[in-house]
Amino acid sequence: MTTFDEEMMRRALQEAADDFVISDGALERILDEARDTASRDDGPRIRAFIQRNGRGRSSILAAAACVVLLAVALPLFNSEGPAKSTSALDFGAAKHVSVQGGAATPDAPAGFTDVQGTGFETGATTSGNSLTLTNASAKLSVTTGVDVAGQSSLRVEEVGTIHLTVGGKRFQSTLSKLTDFATTDGGFVASTQSHMGTKATHSYSTGSIILQVPEHNFTMLVDQVRHAGVATSVQTSATDVTGQYVDLQARITASEVSRSQYLKIMTRTNSIGGILAVQDQLNSIQSQIEQMQAQLNLLNTETTYATLTVAVSETGHQTTTPVAKRTGVDKAWHDSLHGFAAGVEWLIRIAGPLLFALLLIGVLLFLGRWTWRATERRRGGIS
Amino acid sequence: MSDAVDVHELRTWLEDGYASSVRTAYLILGNRPDAEDAVQESFLRAWKFRDSLATGSSFKPWLYRVVVNTCNSKLRKEIPHRNRRRPDDDLDDVAMIDDPIGRVTLSHDVISALKDLPTHLRVVVVLRYYVDLSEHDIAIVIGRQPGTVKSRLNEARRRLAEHPALQSEAPRPITVRKESKS
Repeated sequence: MTTFDEEMMRRALQEAADDFVISDGALERILDEARDTASRDDGPRIRAFIQRNGRGRSSILAAAACVVLLAVALPLFNSEGPAKSTSALDFGAAKHVSVQGGAATPDAPAGFTDVQGTGFETGATTSGNSLTLTNASAKLSVTTGVDVAGQSSLRVEEVGTIHLTVGGKRFQSTLSKLTDFATTDGGFVASTQSHMGTKATHSYSTGSIILQVPEHNFTMLVDQVRHAGVATSVQTSATDVTGQYVDLQARITASEVSRSQYLKIMTRTNSIGGILAVQDQLNSIQSQIEQMQAQLNLLNTETTYATLTVAVSETGHQTTTPVAKRTGVDKAWHDSLHGFAAGVEWLIRIAGPLLFALLLIGVLLFLGRWTWRATERRRGGIS
Repeated sequence: MSDAVDVHELRTWLEDGYASSVRTAYLILGNRPDAEDAVQESFLRAWKFRDSLATGSSFKPWLYRVVVNTCNSKLRKEIPHRNRRRPDDDLDDVAMIDDPIGRVTLSHDVISALKDLPTHLRVVVVLRYYVDLSEHDIAIVIGRQPGTVKSRLNEARRRLAEHPALQSEAPRPITVRKESKS
């Protein structure tokens, strides 16, 4: 037989099977077994949890896949979404603000166009409890947590730096104006430093002033200061130190409890050695309490008052190295590179969650299929 | 009362399908006691889960599916882990009966070739050429797509056509087969 003969196969199998003689009493044995089984299985029959038809299984698997995807995608999109608007810093007119991936980039702010090449960085980035805001001139909404300061427990440390350039004649008056801003906002001038330039020496006037205002007036102060001259850069940052603050408070309370316990022990100790040992412990705890209290006080001060450092310089004094403005092919090339890098960054960012989701779906599908097949085998039926 | 009715139903099933089922299992398992065990288990299981047979579905493929699944389960779990049963029960022994017209020799060769097939191919061959199920019904029985059945059947045919026992046109002497077996 060099080729397969179907008829011969049928005949051979039939003949081979016909040689199988059915045992006497085989049917009765099965029926007896069935009767025994029926008497054992008096309880209700457990129905299949999953309907045994293809559509039902597919629907359940699809629903499971959707749930997994949503579970993975929602946190991802929440983390990549634009910053929530809880406080608005209006830094004046802007020609255009483009928002991409949570960062806002203003194009050539009006009023600042005379400052060629000065770097303006705008954006909001959050990391853990801290938030950093670098800004230029745009109406920019950022989450600082300040507006939720209604929750008394929230402690936010805010600092900022502004570079101002003013005309030579306005230098002194600007410094005075800055001092006034701080005092009218309920704050004070922490330090000031200035250098008066002269035409004879061809030097420019420069100065810096550190202002401290109550934390809730910080935004207003930044707004006032940046209008006092031409702001070449504005940088503010807010750090949520609530966790640190609460932790310190808890540690201090715990240490104070320990201290009171040691004091009780000391009153009951009669031996000199015992008293000295307890005294050592008390000294150590007291030292720790004082250290932590100092840190707490510092945090308290830092979160009560926001600090703004203003660097003032006379127009013409270059504090930063100008960056040559790119044009034409050069600009296009750099834009292209930037776009490519941004694309790669995005791919890398989503690759992790996506891979995890795929892996999870794969495992679920495998488990579902395995369970289904095991059930099928166990039950031996068909849908 | 309901149990009596059910058992009566099972008796009807058995009278209708026991013989063909046990022979199918015998061809798949290649062993008489295993085939009887498998079919007994299959009928009890099918009877227990008879509600899962959807209305309008064909009874025959459903029952064969139960039988095939039980056979597969035995081949996978039980048979490899125990000593073989008495050799007298094996399929090869179809050649032991009287064979005046060479019928048994042919069966023996085919069965020998069949036994050399992997289980998944043997199942489709038995279902196709012994039970005479269509490819569609075989697909239902083994829980695969009809395309898979076609593919398996082609593979099985190719292997059978190339099998040494089926290469020669002339029937081989039975004694030679028996000697080679011992």
